[in-house]
Amino acid sequence: MIEFHNVTKRYPSGFEALNNVSLHLGDGQMAYITGHSGAGKSTLLKIIALIEKPTRGQALLNRINLNNLPRQRIPYLRRNIGIIFQDHQLLFDRPVFDNVALPLQIQGYRPQEVAKRSRAALDKVGLLHKEKSMPITLSGGEQQRVGIARAVVHKPMLLLADEPTGNLDPILSREIMQIFVDFNQVGVTVLVASHDLGLIEELDKPRLTLNAGQLILNDLDQGDAGGHDGWQ
Amino acid sequence: MAGSNVRRRKPPTANRISAYLLHHLQSLIFSLSKIYQAPATTIMTVAVIGITLSLPGGFYLFLKNIDAISGDFRSSTQISLYLDLKITEKKARGLEQYIRTMDHVASTRFISREQSLEEFRQSSGFGKSIDTLSSNPLPHTIVVEPGDSADTFTARNLLNRLQAMPEVEIAKLDTEWLERLYTIIEIAKRSVVIITILFAFAVLLIIGNTIRLDIQNRYQEIIVTKLIGATDAFIRRPFLYGGVWYGMLGGIISWLIVEIGYMAISGPLERLSLLYKSDMNLITYSFQDFIVLIACSTLLGLAGSWIAVARHLNQIEPT
Repeated sequence: MIEFHNVTKRYPSGFEALNNVSLHLGDGQMAYITGHSGAGKSTLLKIIALIEKPTRGQALLNRINLNNLPRQRIPYLRRNIGIIFQDHQLLFDRPVFDNVALPLQIQGYRPQEVAKRSRAALDKVGLLHKEKSMPITLSGGEQQRVGIARAVVHKPMLLLADEPTGNLDPILSREIMQIFVDFNQVGVTVLVASHDLGLIEELDKPRLTLNAGQLILNDLDQGDAGGHDGWQ
Repeated sequence: MAGSNVRRRKPPTANRISAYLLHHLQSLIFSLSKIYQAPATTIMTVAVIGITLSLPGGFYLFLKNIDAISGDFRSSTQISLYLDLKITEKKARGLEQYIRTMDHVASTRFISREQSLEEFRQSSGFGKSIDTLSSNPLPHTIVVEPGDSADTFTARNLLNRLQAMPEVEIAKLDTEWLERLYTIIEIAKRSVVIITILFAFAVLLIIGNTIRLDIQNRYQEIIVTKLIGATDAFIRRPFLYGGVWYGMLGGIISWLIVEIGYMAISGPLERLSLLYKSDMNLITYSFQDFIVLIACSTLLGLAGSWIAVARHLNQIEPT
């Protein structure tokens, strides 16, 4: 699913966020990216989400080279990814349902299909009863679950989460992580950046640890979970 | 090839086309609801557009009215023929009969030398000094009225033919002042064109700026929708429809302003028209004018938002 070959990312300021990183996350695998803040976790996710481009090396998503992807193809590739942000990035001018339905509307699903799938996604995160609420009225944990529902509503192949439990208490954090594990169990590839080491220990998944832009621990090399490449 | 696999994940074509139309409808309604949600901003923008457009609109109607009035003048064009002093009254009346049968002549009127003198005596107040004259200096006069269909050109032709007659000493077409008026109207018409172009630009800038602010206000929303796979066209659409609404509503406001303005003028103008014993009717926007006005303002709205969107939307990228 994701392949990095000697990827280096240097920002115009000269700061080197990633240094010679190589990794391979197979289809249907789940892994954590850990490391201190500033270690390069976010940059790694941004390269996969086509927000940043590598300075050197090759990044591939489903064997598509991300280095020189034409601008107009970016939206279509992003539709295969569900992104979850630390600060949820919900749109506060519209109700929960409309937030969750947005990816489907963007992809041109029919209204009946949009309604059906959006409700299913909200049901999965346990917030179906809040579909008409405005996001501002929800708690932090609920907002994050709406963000997850929006990220999975179009059944992406890959889920990326950047510090999804950053602002949540331990119980809520565990709930959120469990949701990711559940999605992984039905075949979604999941990559979660987190510094919540205690929680990561609990859930027995491979870890990628970054330190100052270098990959210092890569569990994926040992137990390649044997996913098959290509879309399902 | 993974590309073809990506394509397979999209909904079938027929659905996609209806979904495309659906999104246009959604953008239309969404942008309208945005306008509804921010009434203060919308009212101000639309009012500015309306006021801006009402100026060229008002001038246009003013000219349209002037045109209609001067059309009345045109039909009152007269040619005065002052005959040779040697022509007898009998001959002169015969000439009048002949001229009446000519092309483009609506009517003729004969004024004899004696009548002229009498009229002059009464109207000029020089009665006594005229009495001292040994002979009547005034000629027989034939007043020729060109037909309704006659424009300035045929009137001039007629004048030349009449002038060529041996019995006619002087033929005079009373159009010089009319031609001056037409020239002034022509200048005013061109000024209206210039004003219209300038104000159209102003509307373009107003709408462009409003949409630019709109884009800035919805910066976060644009980032998020880009991150979940929205194409540029998808993001552009609500803003373009926003511009369309601004333009259309601004056009309607300008129409209202002009209509109300003309209603306010029409009272005194009718009195003025009575004083001149004419029956001028004030012309306001015809249905056709209204449609053209709304279509133009809507197009200006679309163009203005298109400029803003093209300039500012591509600069917004998630980081």
